[in-house]
Amino acid sequence: MTSSPRLENFVAFSAQITAFNKVEIWGTGLADVYLDTIDGLVGAAVTDALLDAFAPIATLRSDAARTDRLRLEVFGSERLGPVARAIVKLWYIGVWYPLPSTWQEQFGPTARNDAFVPTPAAFVEGLLWPAIGSHPPGAKAPGYGSWRLPPNIPSF
Amino acid sequence: MSPFVKNPNRPDLAALQSDSDYDAIVVGSGISGAIIANELAQAGKRVLIVEAAPETDRTYEGYTEYLNHFYGQSAKDNQSPFPINPNAATPRGSELRKLDPLETNSSSYIVQSGPYVSDTVYTRVFGGTSIHWEAKTPRMLPQDFKTQTVFGQGRDWPIGYEDIETDYETAEREMGVSADVEDQKYLDLKFRDSYVFPMRGLPPSWLDEQVAQGIDNSQVELYGERYALKVRPFPQARNGIPNPAYDGGKGFEPTSAVASHQIDIGGRCQGNTNCVPICPVQAKYHSGKTLAKAFETGRVDLLSQAVASKVIIDDASGRVTGIETKVYHHVSSPAYKTVTLRARLYVIAANAIETPRLLLASGLRSKSGLVGRNLMDHAYLLNWALMPQICGTTRGTSCTSGIVDLRGGSFRRSQAAFAVDIHNDGWGWATGSPSTDLVELVDDGNKFGRDLRNAIIDRVSRQLLLAFMIEVMPSESNRVTVDPTYKDPLDNMRPVVSFAVPEYSMRGAAYARQFAKTLFARLGAEDHTHYDPSNYGFIAYQGDPYEIRGGNHLAGTHIMGSDPSTSVVDADQRSWDHDNLYLVGAGSMPTIGTANVSLTMAAIAYRSARKIIATLNH
Ligand SMILES: Cc1cc2nc3c(=O)[nH]c(=O)nc-3n(C[C@H](O)[C@H](O)[C@H](O)COP(=O)(O)OP(=O)(O)OC[C@H]3O[C@@H](n4cnc5c(N)ncnc54)[C@H](O)[C@@H]3O)c2cc1C
Ligand code: SF4
Repeated sequence: MTSSPRLENFVAFSAQITAFNKVEIWGTGLADVYLDTIDGLVGAAVTDALLDAFAPIATLRSDAARTDRLRLEVFGSERLGPVARAIVKLWYIGVWYPLPSTWQEQFGPTARNDAFVPTPAAFVEGLLWPAIGSHPPGAKAPGYGSWRLPPNIPSF
Repeated sequence: MSPFVKNPNRPDLAALQSDSDYDAIVVGSGISGAIIANELAQAGKRVLIVEAAPETDRTYEGYTEYLNHFYGQSAKDNQSPFPINPNAATPRGSELRKLDPLETNSSSYIVQSGPYVSDTVYTRVFGGTSIHWEAKTPRMLPQDFKTQTVFGQGRDWPIGYEDIETDYETAEREMGVSADVEDQKYLDLKFRDSYVFPMRGLPPSWLDEQVAQGIDNSQVELYGERYALKVRPFPQARNGIPNPAYDGGKGFEPTSAVASHQIDIGGRCQGNTNCVPICPVQAKYHSGKTLAKAFETGRVDLLSQAVASKVIIDDASGRVTGIETKVYHHVSSPAYKTVTLRARLYVIAANAIETPRLLLASGLRSKSGLVGRNLMDHAYLLNWALMPQICGTTRGTSCTSGIVDLRGGSFRRSQAAFAVDIHNDGWGWATGSPSTDLVELVDDGNKFGRDLRNAIIDRVSRQLLLAFMIEVMPSESNRVTVDPTYKDPLDNMRPVVSFAVPEYSMRGAAYARQFAKTLFARLGAEDHTHYDPSNYGFIAYQGDPYEIRGGNHLAGTHIMGSDPSTSVVDADQRSWDHDNLYLVGAGSMPTIGTANVSLTMAAIAYRSARKIIATLNH
């Protein structure tokens, strides 16, 4: 994966909204695929607006402050909120869920309007599974008998 | 044993049609067909397997294709690994909807004529539904074989537990069952003195342990009798640790993945939590493992993409003279060639919907008139809650343990028995969790970042789903029929199913709901169960709501008995009407009790194979 400042901004944004760190986000190998997917769906201008809105927020010291500003300026934005929520879901479960029809009426139709998995690896790399100390069904098997042990839910 | 499979294909249709030297034709490559084919081949017989599906997964590459197909689907319904094939369609839950009174829905492959709409499925791929099944393998209880005599309900089997006990052992060997006898001795279940299962029981999950801590040794009262509860592991046909004491100390060698070349996987279950719909490493038994042995003999041929369409009978003798089969070239085209295939003896093992469908489409109702009737399937009632503590849900095989204390008892005079599964995979079956939880937390809960991560742990890792598998007794009005109005692209009539959940089972369901509430109270678990009136499985019973789900344990449609006027096959699954025809599968079972049907189905297949070999040798 070749890195670009834009991709790095996307990784930083993704880390903030998923509560996984940048190394873990890079580790999925999917950041560039997702950025391309999102650009293709909503147009690079919307993605840029999202990353631009995040840039000053990223410099804030406390997570609580970043969260407050994200609520106000990103998740609470008519234009950026639905996209940001779709990105959270994409990272967690590997599925792009279509944006609400009201968004599409106001800001233009997205290239596709169905739920889809951008690449089979998306499901396997979903962050939901490590978040709960588990593994995606059908992949990254933890080994015989591992289910007998108490869950090991990573702190973050 | 080397899992190497030589290519057994016979695409030379003209030669095949004039080949009259087969001892048997077996329709279907599921567990039933595979056992018959392998037993016959080991006894030196020549067999042709006719399979409606392509042979994609016969190779390791093809099997892997299913897996990638599965990863790539956004909605992972339980048929999602298996590609659409209109020429030999597979029922899919996603096609269903609720029916208006007297309405028939023909938009799904199985025409639903109601009143109840079942989301039960089977899978038409090479290896049949065993590619897809969960692989729980409890035996039926001795009392299950004589429910009419003991409880005045259902029908008695023409054979008893003692008659098939040895065949149970053979089936447990073939399917590679992991369990410990100590855990499986309950109610009237008994085992031969020195018996051990091929492999040690799979360890129970952490979730099982949490439930056990809350309820073990507590009791419930039912019709004046008290029943003590205990969380027990289920026997499973998936590879665990071989038991060195097996077979008088000879031990057991598990069968690994089937491949056209040597590969080193499939030894042991790795906890993929994906047993349904497909096990990535083939630790779970599927019939391809048995078929590999059959093909190795060199005496078994396979004709795939071949849909048996008509069983041809000689009117004078009643004997089968051939099977008309439609061979299609590609799943995307309805073009086909018709061939008539012949052998000395015929075995239809196409499952409890497709076998009667084929017979009825051939005009064969049997003198008893019972072909297609007495359709049974377990009725599932789901109950779901959040445990007070983090339980690590979503780890382990789909289900490792359950509560089986109410599989038997005198209450069966009045209401259905049930077995309860503790689902390691959480609420998925009931609610579509965890993706639905995620969507709700993000879209409605406005959670992201740290809040979301905490909320997901709290919501998913505490999930407890209890699935009640409720017994359903045979009833002649529950049935499969055919109707020339409803055909598939190959011009074969599709199955039409009419089904109503019997009152006896609904009484069991009502008690199941009450029982679940009692358990949740003992566990301090928050009950989240709700039944949606718009769901196709919704049933109002005595004023209370229920959602009954199909059990995928189809049975009864060519029911076994000792009297030709009240049954379709005899105790060896030989058709009473056509003496060179065997109908092999769960369709022969007179009752299903509270055991997932396939182990018993496999056991009776061994019984039939013995009879078939003896007949052919005669
Ligand atoms: C999700 C799920 C979970 C399950 N879990 C369990 C479990 O835990 N324990 C258990 O005991 N059972 C379970 N079952 C049930 C079990 O899978 C079936 O009972 C069993 O696989 C049936 O085997 P069979 O050989 O009779 O039929 P199938 O496996 O259905 O095989 C029939 C074969 O015949 C072929 N065929 C059909 N029609 C024709 C035709 N006209 N011409 C040629 N070929 C034809 C089909 O393509 C198929 O290959 C489950 C089922 C499902 C769907
Ligand atoms: S838990 Fe995993 S490895 Fe084990 S049988 Fe199920 S899918 Fe296969």
